Amino acid sequence: MNIFLYLDEDTWFHRLDPRTKIIGVVLLFGVALVFNHPLYMAGIALGLVLLAAAAKALPNFWRMRYILILLVVFSTVLWPFFAEGPTVLWSWGPLEVSRESLMYAIAMGLRLASFVAAGLIFLSTTTNEEFTHGLIRLKLPYPVAFAFSTALRLVPTFAGAGATIVQAQISRGLDVESGNIFQRAGKFIPLAVPLFIYAVRHTNMLAMALESKGFNPGAKRTWYLNPQMRRADYLVLALLTALFLGALFLRLRGYGAVLPRL
Amino acid sequence: MKAAFTMWKNTRMIILVAVCAAIYAAALIAFKTAIPLIPGITEVRVANIFPMVFSLLFGPAAAWGSAIGNLIGDIFGGTLGLGSIFGFVGNFLLGYLPYAMWTTLKPIADGERELALGNWRAWVLYILLALISSAACGVVIAMWLEVLGLVPYPVLVTIITVNDTFGSLIGGLLLLAVYGVVRRQLRLVWWDVMEPEDIGKPAAGVLGAWLVVIGALAGWILGAYILSGQALIVGVITTVLILLGAVLM
Repeated sequence: MNIFLYLDEDTWFHRLDPRTKIIGVVLLFGVALVFNHPLYMAGIALGLVLLAAAAKALPNFWRMRYILILLVVFSTVLWPFFAEGPTVLWSWGPLEVSRESLMYAIAMGLRLASFVAAGLIFLSTTTNEEFTHGLIRLKLPYPVAFAFSTALRLVPTFAGAGATIVQAQISRGLDVESGNIFQRAGKFIPLAVPLFIYAVRHTNMLAMALESKGFNPGAKRTWYLNPQMRRADYLVLALLTALFLGALFLRLRGYGAVLPRL
Repeated sequence: MKAAFTMWKNTRMIILVAVCAAIYAAALIAFKTAIPLIPGITEVRVANIFPMVFSLLFGPAAAWGSAIGNLIGDIFGGTLGLGSIFGFVGNFLLGYLPYAMWTTLKPIADGERELALGNWRAWVLYILLALISSAACGVVIAMWLEVLGLVPYPVLVTIITVNDTFGSLIGGLLLLAVYGVVRRQLRLVWWDVMEPEDIGKPAAGVLGAWLVVIGALAGWILGAYILSGQALIVGVITTVLILLGAVLM
């Protein structure tokens, strides 16, 4: 199973500098955060789908379709009972659903789905190496970025080791399929112990390998991968900043809100 | 809190951050879609057996490892979003508080870093810290998601607290199984790996620990059950208490 979401395509979005993509996705999160009217949020969600089509990221949207649908459904069911509005549609004891809270609930579902969609576009177009390098270029301390990138590389290794351990324990008679949630969680222990020991044994070997090559967390570094900000990057950042400021301006003028809250 | 920053000078601690993050993320991804509780936000987190065990063994490396591991879980799970910011902070606390409070939550704690796992008092402290660290994680994340308007605070704080406490309690079995190997065979417990001058002593550890206890329990019980109408205010105040307490330890 491929756990990575990166899709190897040649689109303008893929070619952007990782810094542009990191800042851009934060700006998109900001735009999704400004409005709480379902029509405005639907517009943003549609825009993100078009952006995903341009970035050839739609296969990942299809892969995550259940999460995206469940987000909207769950939020629409949950929020009406917690947000209060003046036009009451239904009430029973302390529970109350208003027209505004229902609209707010739909908007929150779309907001949550928009966050996930923006994240998916980013992950579909950015390799782990580019992501880490972008974080370093955005002044994340090198040891933190190193730990992050090492963890990213180790995840598939440990996931593979975990799968082998599961198969080995099943062949010895461990039944991981039956029982309630508590029993099944308890059965995770015989799987977790060998995985834990396998992983921790790596630590000493990795540390020795690094130290033997003169690894120094605080040393100054040069880079093989050296992406540069181009005109397209500045243009994208300017457009997204304008979009965010425009959305903020509209909201401050009273547009795009069914309730006076974030 | 000094050790959480000075540890970045130590190669073994940096590797431990990566290893903790990778194990936690691998387990999170494996169970991400198994039993969702709030789709896209949280699920039954079998992986939560790890952070408290990591914390008591690897100290500050576990705090950063849990935080980064949760972020990687969001990345590979496709649920990266603004909520991931406080998911990072909440999971940092989940890995930070157990080791920091193990020595500072006096008089329940005896002040020794060594885990006396044959002693009933150690297990009382373990159970208490499982609840406190889980509630602290729940308060911080639920407050942020309420601010963003994503999930109501009273719902999420209880789900995270119960979910994480349950995971940490089962993690006790894992701790029993691996402590001897990590302590004596691999010699990788954090107070053996780090230099004593890098560990330092907390400025007001006992005060910090009790601030966290008050913040976590008040944030959960008041915010979810007693003052749920004022949940956001309760969430903000108790988050400040928890973060202040964490800094003092």
